[in-house]
Amino acid sequence: MSAGLSPGAGHALELAGLTRRYGAFTAVQDVSLSVASGEFLTLLGPSGSGKTTILMMVAGFTEPSEGHVRLDGRDITVLPPERRDFGMVFQGYALFPHMTVAENVAFPLRVRGISRAARDEKVKAALDLVQLDRFADRKPAQLSGGQQQRVALARALVFEPALLLLDEPLSALDKKLRGELQEELKTLHRRIGRTFINVTHDQEEALRLSDRVAILDHGRLVQQGTPQDLYERPKTRFVADFLGRSNFLAGTVREVRPGAMALLAGATRLVQAVPEGSPRLALGAPGVLALRPEKITLLAAGETADTEVTGAIAAWSYHGTGFALAVQTADLGLLQVALPAWRAPIAPTEGMPVRLGWPADASVPVAEDSHAA
Amino acid sequence: MRRDLGWWALLLPAFLMMTVLYVAPILQVLAISVTEPTLGTGNYERLLSNAGVQRVILTTLRIGLLTTGIALLLGYALAYVIALARPAAQRWWLLGVLLPLWISVLVRAFAWVTLLRRQGLVNQGLQALGAIDSPLQLVWNEFGVVVGMVHYMVPYAVLPMLASMREIDPRLLVAARGMGASRGMVFGRVFLPLSLPGVVAAAVLVFIFSLGFYITPAILGGGKTLMTAEWIKLQILDLVRWGMGAMLATVLVGAILATLAVFSRVVDLRRLFGARA
Amino acid sequence: MTGGYGAGHLAKALAWTTVLYLVLPITIVLPVSLTDQRFLSLPYETLSLRHYANIFASPAWLAAISQSFALAVASTLLAVVAGTLCAVGCWRLSRRASDLVRVLMLLPLIIPSIVYAVGLYRWFGRLDLLDRFLGVALAHAVTAIPYVVITVSAALAAFDARLEQAARGMGASLPQTLRWVILPRIAPGIASGAIFAFIHSWDELVMVLFITSRQVFTLPRKMWDGINENLDPTMAAVAMLLVAFTILLLWLDGALRRRRGGDA
Repeated sequence: MSAGLSPGAGHALELAGLTRRYGAFTAVQDVSLSVASGEFLTLLGPSGSGKTTILMMVAGFTEPSEGHVRLDGRDITVLPPERRDFGMVFQGYALFPHMTVAENVAFPLRVRGISRAARDEKVKAALDLVQLDRFADRKPAQLSGGQQQRVALARALVFEPALLLLDEPLSALDKKLRGELQEELKTLHRRIGRTFINVTHDQEEALRLSDRVAILDHGRLVQQGTPQDLYERPKTRFVADFLGRSNFLAGTVREVRPGAMALLAGATRLVQAVPEGSPRLALGAPGVLALRPEKITLLAAGETADTEVTGAIAAWSYHGTGFALAVQTADLGLLQVALPAWRAPIAPTEGMPVRLGWPADASVPVAEDSHAA
Repeated sequence: MRRDLGWWALLLPAFLMMTVLYVAPILQVLAISVTEPTLGTGNYERLLSNAGVQRVILTTLRIGLLTTGIALLLGYALAYVIALARPAAQRWWLLGVLLPLWISVLVRAFAWVTLLRRQGLVNQGLQALGAIDSPLQLVWNEFGVVVGMVHYMVPYAVLPMLASMREIDPRLLVAARGMGASRGMVFGRVFLPLSLPGVVAAAVLVFIFSLGFYITPAILGGGKTLMTAEWIKLQILDLVRWGMGAMLATVLVGAILATLAVFSRVVDLRRLFGARA
Repeated sequence: MTGGYGAGHLAKALAWTTVLYLVLPITIVLPVSLTDQRFLSLPYETLSLRHYANIFASPAWLAAISQSFALAVASTLLAVVAGTLCAVGCWRLSRRASDLVRVLMLLPLIIPSIVYAVGLYRWFGRLDLLDRFLGVALAHAVTAIPYVVITVSAALAAFDARLEQAARGMGASLPQTLRWVILPRIAPGIASGAIFAFIHSWDELVMVLFITSRQVFTLPRKMWDGINENLDPTMAAVAMLLVAFTILLLWLDGALRRRRGGDA
C-alpha cells in the first residue's frame, strides 16, 4: 500500500428527495438514495435520464430545486464545490493542458497550501498507484487516452477525498481499453476502500464495476440493487430492457396458486413462479413477463418444460459463443433465443420448426413503465 | 446566485470605471443640452431655425452617405477577392487591410495632406507630366474629406462583409457552376444574397462611424467643410456655447443609437464589434 | 479554396486598386521623411536622416514621446486589469445576467469620442483632473476596456469550461482558479488586448484636445499642432516612427497568436 493513500476512511452519502427543475423541464424528480461508506455505486441510465445532473448536485456544481444532500449526516446541499473535498474524474478528464502530469496531480494539494515536500511525496504515491510515475514530466497532450484517464484518477485521489465521483470516466476510450481499465478501477476501489459514485450509460460497465446500481429514467429512480439483483429481478419493463436483452410476454392471469401463477397468451399457458413476498397479480388482470433469451432452451422430442411453445426460425446469426435465433411463434410473436454454439442440438436454418421451453422461475413479472414513452 | 457572488465581483472594477468615468460624463452632456443656457428645449428649437446647424447636419449626412457608399463598393470587391483567394494569399490581402486600420488616423491624414495639397506630390506629378497647367484643389474641401474618410472606413467595411462571406459554403458556388450557371449568375443569384447580412452590418458600422468622425474631416476639410464633430468642438472650445454643442452631441448620439436600433434585427451588435466569436 | 469558382477580373482589378489606395499613401511618408529639403517633398539629390535627428535633438518632441509612452503604459495596465476581470466574469456568469454589462463595455466603440471628450471636459473640471496625467490615463483606460474585453472574450471562447469546474471541484478558491488555471490559458488573448489598448492610448487625440493644455502634451497633440501650423519634414519623420512602432506592435501580436496556435 502506498504511503500517501491510506485505506478506509470512506464516507456515507445520502440524497433525500432531490429534485432539479430547469424552467418547466424537470431533469431530476424526487430521487432518494443512500450510499454506504466504502461502497461503489453506479448511476445508470440513458442520456437525458438525469444521472449527470444528480452527480453535479452531489459535487455542488448544481443547486437542487428541492431536497437535500447529506454527508455522514451533515447537510451539505448549499456548500460550494470547492469546500466539499470530493475527488472527481470529469468526462473527458479536464486535465490542465498547460501543466505537466505531476503539476496536474499536485493541483489539489497546492490549493490546500500543502508544503512542497509533502506535496511531492503524495504526488509520487498517487502516480505510483496508477502506474504513471515515469510520465510525471509529460504534458497531458503527450499521453494516450488511457494514460490521461489514469492521471485524472490520480489527481482525484491524491488529496484523499471523502468521496470519489466519476462522470462517464471510460466513455472516451475504445472497447478493449475500457475493459482493462474497468478491472483496474475495481481493483483500485478494493485497495483504497473509499466511497465511489460512478455515472455511466454503459450497462456492462455498471454491472462489472458496482456494488450497487441505481437505474434512472426520465429523471426518476426506477430501481436500485446489486447488479445480479437488477439483472435477475427487474421490476419494470424499462429495467429489463435496458440491462441486457429481454423478451416481453403479455397475457392474462388465469390461475393463482401459492408460489405460482399462470397466464394465458392465446393458446399458450405461461407458468410463472411467484416467490414468497413478491406482489401478486389478480385473477383476470393483464400481465407482462420478462424473459432473457439465454434462459430459453430448445426442447428435444419428448422433453417437457413448465412453459412450452412452438414456432419456426425466422432469422439467425452466429456470434462465436452462440447462435442468436429469432423464432416466430403464433401466440408470443417473435422470440429472441440465445443458443450456445458448442454442441448445439441443431444446425439452424430459416424456416426450421422448433419447440421452445423454459422453467417457471426463468421469467419475471414486470410492471409497465409509468411514463408514456 | 449567492454562489456566483465572487464572479459578479470580477465585473466590479470595469463596471465602476465605465459608469463613473464614461457613462456619467456622457449623461451630463445630455443634461447640459436641456439646461444651458436656460432650462428647456430652446437649444433643440435651433435645429429648426438655425441655418448654420442645418447646413452642418446636411453636410454630415451627405458626406456620411457618400463615404458609406464608396467604402462599401471598394470593401465588397476586396472582401470578395479575399474570401475566394487561397489561404496563403488571404493572409497578404488581410495584412493590406489590417495594417492601415491600426495606423494612427493622424498619420494617415498627414499622408493625405502631403499628397493632395496644392504643392503636394499628386499635383507636382501631374504638372511634371504636363497633364494639368495649374494645381488642382484636391484638399481642404469635400473631395479631400471623402478621400480621407473612405480610406479610414474601407477596413471597417471589409471585416464584417468578409466574416459573412466566409460563412458561405464554397461547395454551393461550385455546385451552381456545375449546374450550368454563368459566373455572373452565380454571383447574382447565390453569392450576393448570401453575403447581404454582412453588407448591411458593414453599412451600419461605417455610417455611424462617419457621423461622429473628427480628426480626418478637421484636417482634410481645412475648416471649410464643417461636419458635426468639428462644429461641436467649435461651439464648446472656441465659442463656449455649451448648450448648442451639447445639443448637437445629443442629436448625434441619438442618431447613432436610432440607426443601431433600426438595424438591430438584422445586425447582431455584439457580433459586429467582435464580442461574440 | 473554391476549386471551380474564383473571383473575376473586374473584382480583382477593383480589389487591387483598393489595397493600393489603402497602403500607398502611408508608404509615401517614408521617402518624404528622408528628404534632403527643408519642406515637404520627395528627396531631390540625396537621402537624409536630418529630420529624424531633429526629433531626437528636440526636447519638446522627446518630452511628448516619453509622456505618451508613460500614459499608454499606465492606461493599458488599468484597462487590462479591469477588462480581463470583466470578460472572465461575463464568460462565467450566464449570458442573460451579464448582457447589460457586455453592452455597457462596448459603448466606447459606438459613441463618438467627440461626445465623450465634451463630457469629460466638464466632468474632469469638477473632479480637478483637467490637464493631469491621471485624468488622461483614466480616460484612455476606460475607452480601451472594449478592446481588452473583446480579445479576452475571444480567448475565453476557446477555453474549456470544464477546467474551471475541475479546479473548483478539487478545492481551488476563485482567486486560485483565476491565477493558476484561467489566466495562464488566456494569457495570449490578454496580451493582444494589451497591445490594442496601448495603440489606442498612443494614438488618441480627440480627448487629449479637450482635457489637456500644457502639463500633459502628448505626441498626437504635438503632431496635430504641427500639421495645423508648420508642415515640415520633421512631421514625416515622426509619422514614420509612429508607423514603425505600430507595425512592431502588430508583429508582436501576430507572433503571440502564432504561438497560441502552435500550443493548442
